[in-house]
Amino acid sequence: MRRWLKPLRVLLAVVFFGVLSAAFLDFRGLMPTRLAHAFAAMQLGPATLAAVAGSALAAGSVALLLIVTLLFGRVYCSVICPLGILQDAIARLRPRRRTATRFAPENKTIRYGFLTSALLAVALGATGVAFTLLDPYSHFGRITATLGRTALVIGNNTLVPAAQTLGWQALYRVPPPAPPLGLVLFATIAAVTVAALALWRGRIYCNTVCPVGTILGLLSRVSAFRLTIDPAACTKCADCLRACKAQCIDLRAGRVDASRCVACANCLSACRHGGIAYRFAWRRTQRAPDPQRRALVAGALAVPPLAALQAVAAAPRRAPVAPPGAHSATRLLDRCTGCQLCVTACPTQVLQPAVFDYGWLGFAKPHLDFERAFCNFDCHRCGDVCPTGAILPLALADKRLTSVGTAQFERSRCIVETDGTDCAACSEHCPTKAVNTVPFRDNLRLPAVNESLCIGCGACEFACPVRPQRAITVTARATHTRAAQAVEARPQLPKPTGDFPF
Amino acid sequence: MKTSRRDFLKTGLALAATVSAGRFTRALAADVPAAPRTILAAVRDGTRTAMLDRALAELGGLSQFVRPGQTVLIKPNIGWDVAPDLGANTHPELVGHLVKLCRDAGAKSVSVFDHTCDQWQRCYATSGIEPAVRDAGGIVVTGDDHALYRPVEIPRGVKLKSAEVHSLVLDSDVFINVPVLKHHSGSLMTGAAKNLMGVVWDRRFYHRNDLHQCIADFLTFRKPDLNIVDAYHPMVRNGPRGRAADDVVELRSLLASTDIVAVDTAAARLLNQNPADIRHIGLAAAHGVGTTNLDALDIRRVKLA
Repeated sequence: MRRWLKPLRVLLAVVFFGVLSAAFLDFRGLMPTRLAHAFAAMQLGPATLAAVAGSALAAGSVALLLIVTLLFGRVYCSVICPLGILQDAIARLRPRRRTATRFAPENKTIRYGFLTSALLAVALGATGVAFTLLDPYSHFGRITATLGRTALVIGNNTLVPAAQTLGWQALYRVPPPAPPLGLVLFATIAAVTVAALALWRGRIYCNTVCPVGTILGLLSRVSAFRLTIDPAACTKCADCLRACKAQCIDLRAGRVDASRCVACANCLSACRHGGIAYRFAWRRTQRAPDPQRRALVAGALAVPPLAALQAVAAAPRRAPVAPPGAHSATRLLDRCTGCQLCVTACPTQVLQPAVFDYGWLGFAKPHLDFERAFCNFDCHRCGDVCPTGAILPLALADKRLTSVGTAQFERSRCIVETDGTDCAACSEHCPTKAVNTVPFRDNLRLPAVNESLCIGCGACEFACPVRPQRAITVTARATHTRAAQAVEARPQLPKPTGDFPF
Repeated sequence: MKTSRRDFLKTGLALAATVSAGRFTRALAADVPAAPRTILAAVRDGTRTAMLDRALAELGGLSQFVRPGQTVLIKPNIGWDVAPDLGANTHPELVGHLVKLCRDAGAKSVSVFDHTCDQWQRCYATSGIEPAVRDAGGIVVTGDDHALYRPVEIPRGVKLKSAEVHSLVLDSDVFINVPVLKHHSGSLMTGAAKNLMGVVWDRRFYHRNDLHQCIADFLTFRKPDLNIVDAYHPMVRNGPRGRAADDVVELRSLLASTDIVAVDTAAARLLNQNPADIRHIGLAAAHGVGTTNLDALDIRRVKLA
């Protein structure tokens, strides 16, 4: 059993990492939304948010993850968390011989400081920010979606001319994602930090920074099966120590720090003497020491800056439009972790990560960018993939009537008025006929908006050719509403049937 | 290659027209030598494929247009992410059948694309055109890749003096335009000429600089070799996207001609529009790229049922 635990762990990790990476990298819309959603919804951060929001399925996920942890320790960190697996992949790059891996004591101040800050932020109502800054899955999503995907699309586009020369039509050019600079910067800092820490000391990020790791660590202290060193068999050869990425095996004391062990089973494969094994531990549970008071103080110190952030979250110039299913910007900001799964799933790329469009609290969260595209009438992939319930899934019939904004027509800027020529690009694109045209002077047709029919998809704003300021723009609704549906009688045949009108 | 094909077409059409004109002895009696009259095939009351077959037969067969070894471009309207029964896109059955006929005529390749309004992969899939073309042995090409477009001069253009045009239009031997007929909230009608907005990169330029004039100007650069208008169930309101399936009425008609202006003139009549109200039709005629005078045409009116 000791031998196959590691291969099993690696296999499962590859599946989770593979599916989630593919979901974030998929620039051709090939990933089924159900699959992406299922794997993302198994992540503890998003699942917790969705469970709190009332999703029974998510609550089940959370319970299952906690039970697994209570039984076998932090399997989650080694198998399910893509950021954890990414660190393992990065750590493999270091030259093995030269790393003098040895036991390192836990840095409780930093570790519990981060956890306390996160919990305090949640308590203060900055849940969305806490998760955006600290949830490991969301970090992974931003890194993969912002950096990996961009690189992949550029690679694809570089290969396209060669493919076309060969008459191979399977490859086609895709507009590069071009995420906002602020997000690129943030994702780069996260990626460099995580990579540097992984190269330096394996899973040190998971064991000092990550609050998910810390919470699961607290549970693992009392898990049923724990790694135990058998003093009779152990020769203190330190093979296990060299294989350990968490630096949590204390050979001198003959103990494994269960709170930092990520259950990777490397030590089990490394040990040639049968000196280390999973043992049922519930009969001889040691009491876990309480987090140090210093850690709590450090956490408390982190609160004022967060509170200040919230205060700075002033109203932006033009309120951004939240995607249908978000219900309101406030709700979105509260529940979204900024993982970018919706942004990568959006076929038109109208969903873009905000920088400060929603204010500071809305960093990395999705908004509809009508400069870039418009929301496809018959699509609700964003809600289908969202793992936190920040964007709720909507049936297509409901999505088509969900109004996230309203179009405002400025006649003085319209080409029909200024140039006296037909245009109607806005009404042409309008899927609900909230923007239609009415007869105007000289056999022209002037756009007119029926606000009750408008769903705020932005097709009109996107299509409007007037610059610099467009003649038709969409204003966000603070709270999304249900649009009315136009009722029309069946049209008559334009000419009597059976003959040619010419 | 291009010139020889044009010559071939002219001769072929002239021959076909002469043969058909044989019936009109009175016309021949005039002392002016009879100019070969362009054929407009107008077919009613059949299935889409049967109407297409008949229209092509009236025009002398597809072999008049497609010769073995040639590359063919078929340009349907695939503008919207909308199912076939809503009438916003050319019907996939018609496009698929035309692809097959071109293949049967010995075409080296049959490519299909449109520069869509909605997201292109969704349009291609939902319209049913992508699978139909693939099944018929055609090639589906993206219209959403700027690198596939090349800048061209349009010396006779009044507003549209240059444009970036899809390379398939520039490089294909045969160019067949297969629009769907529908209402349009801006230009009143989308027909054959309007459909060609989907071969240029910057659609907004048209809207910004006199839509009708730009539509007409493009025809001075390149006219399709053949226009086939899908009027099986034209959308009569809420166009060009449409809102619901009852925006279409069943007319079960199909028009085909080499004269793009004539085919749009007839199409306008099908929609019960006055062709004179649709400015780009008149502007195109003024450019001399076709005629609005249907009496000057050899109209083949065929009722299949």
